[in-house]
Amino acid sequence: MIAFDHVGKRYRSFTGREVRALDDLTLELSPGEVFGLAGPNGAGKTTLIALLLGFLGPSEGTVRIAGLEPRRFIEKHGVGYLSELVNIPPAWRTDEALRRYALLAGVDASRLRARVDEALDQLGLNEHRGKRVKQLSKGNLQRLGLAQALLCEEQVVVLDEPTHGLDPVWTQRFRDVVTALRREDRVILIASHNLDELARLADRVGILDHGRLQRVVAMRGGGESPEGATAPYRNALARGAELVPEVFPGARDVGQGELELDSLTLEEINAGIATLIARGALVSLVLPTHSLLEQQFREAVSAAREDGP
Amino acid sequence: MSEARRAGRRHARVGAYAVWQLRDYLKDRGLPTFIVALLSGYLGLSPIIERMPTRADPVPAGLLARFGSAEAVYAARMLEFNHAFLRGILGTIVFVGALFAMNGIVANDRKQGFYRFLFAKPMTPARYYGQAFLVHWAGFVAVMIVLGLVYGALIWPVLSRPLLLVIALMFVAYSGIAFLLSAAARWDWMSLVAVTVGATFLWARFGESTHPLSRLLYLLPPLHLVDEVYASVSGVPVYASGAPPVIPWSILAWLAGYGAACFAAGLVVLRYRRLAIV
Repeated sequence: MIAFDHVGKRYRSFTGREVRALDDLTLELSPGEVFGLAGPNGAGKTTLIALLLGFLGPSEGTVRIAGLEPRRFIEKHGVGYLSELVNIPPAWRTDEALRRYALLAGVDASRLRARVDEALDQLGLNEHRGKRVKQLSKGNLQRLGLAQALLCEEQVVVLDEPTHGLDPVWTQRFRDVVTALRREDRVILIASHNLDELARLADRVGILDHGRLQRVVAMRGGGESPEGATAPYRNALARGAELVPEVFPGARDVGQGELELDSLTLEEINAGIATLIARGALVSLVLPTHSLLEQQFREAVSAAREDGP
Repeated sequence: MSEARRAGRRHARVGAYAVWQLRDYLKDRGLPTFIVALLSGYLGLSPIIERMPTRADPVPAGLLARFGSAEAVYAARMLEFNHAFLRGILGTIVFVGALFAMNGIVANDRKQGFYRFLFAKPMTPARYYGQAFLVHWAGFVAVMIVLGLVYGALIWPVLSRPLLLVIALMFVAYSGIAFLLSAAARWDWMSLVAVTVGATFLWARFGESTHPLSRLLYLLPPLHLVDEVYASVSGVPVYASGAPPVIPWSILAWLAGYGAACFAAGLVVLRYRRLAIV
């Protein structure tokens, strides 16, 4: 559905210095997939999205959506897009903004008012419908941006930092919205700094740094942990804590009755816990210190730092 | 069958969006144009208002014999007054109106990032901004009609088809250039002022030159000729002899054609230029 083929993007600064924003990126996203995009600031996420939407052209390689150059696809079908910065003319009113975008998204005249009302309801903006955009709080503006992205049943949905500025209640509701958006023929791309959010929502997460796709982590299907992947754990025991250093050499006391274990594979942690239980210990907590994705992210980013730009 | 074909094509209802574009024009650009034109009119009238004819003015026998009645002489004198006023102000109002109408028409959306949500919708920038140009054109003519009616109610009727035609085509001359500049550059209004001043100066300075390089002037709009166009629709001095002026169609066509060509070039730029500002 979406294919990046050896895509590179270079910018030239005022001083003539060349900046590589993306380098030899190859990636395919399939219909039905929710793909997460993670990376530190300046990793190239926004550039990748601008290329996908045809707002920028690649310096090398090709980007295709359903076999078409991005602008041609979007000019025919449209995409649902929420940008990192929600730029809507500040003098527009909330419902007016949605009516305008719905018209441009091609919503039928007969359904337009109802569709706008639904979107206002869905994103909890009804009480703000008469407010001007400049009067909206950061969270409400973000929800308005999300509402305009979801006005039509798009095949491609691109959400750049979608929960930026949302409170915990709306962050949770956003997850429900994305879950409801999943469809066999739809691709959803979510770029976020929030790894926990990506781990919950995405099927795969691409980790981008220094303009390169450092790795793609499968979050579903094959299980959250790829074979051989390791993660550090925290461990607490209601009984038999003295056995831990014997089973897990290198375990460190981090206070409040918890021990930090070295990086272990799933097999190693399971075998160790089984040994502890067999020897009479009562385990009250086993928790990865970082999620698998966070671990992968740290490894990918530090590897990229070592390799240099 | 490709995935795109299977998905079916959906069109933005850009035509219906013209109502919003007209509203935006009237609120954000038309009203300022109206206010600036009113103020310019007031400032333009102030120095000559004492010379405005009245029905009590004495009527020379020669004029009475020429026009047939005191009322006809008064009407002719009012037309002469209009001539002095319009000739002085028409060019400024059309230029300022075009500047207001086109200022940032494309560039603002690019600079402020509004293009992101707009062009995630199924439409081309050329279609959207091309329509905005036409809507602003219609809005400007409507503002000029209202101004003409106000002037007519306060001073003397001035609206005529030739006057509106000239205003409409001169708007195309300026705004076509502004549209191209807005599609291609960030600082469109400054560029338009620079082009206008530069073209007027260069044509006036080197227009008569026989040097081969002077042919390059034809790349610039013939803005040194606009006064001739406005003079043709500003009325007739009461003591003028000879035939009344006629609209110099060839000059008007050159000016409006230049603007229209620039507008078309702007559409081509929008078709192929990437929207993001790096």
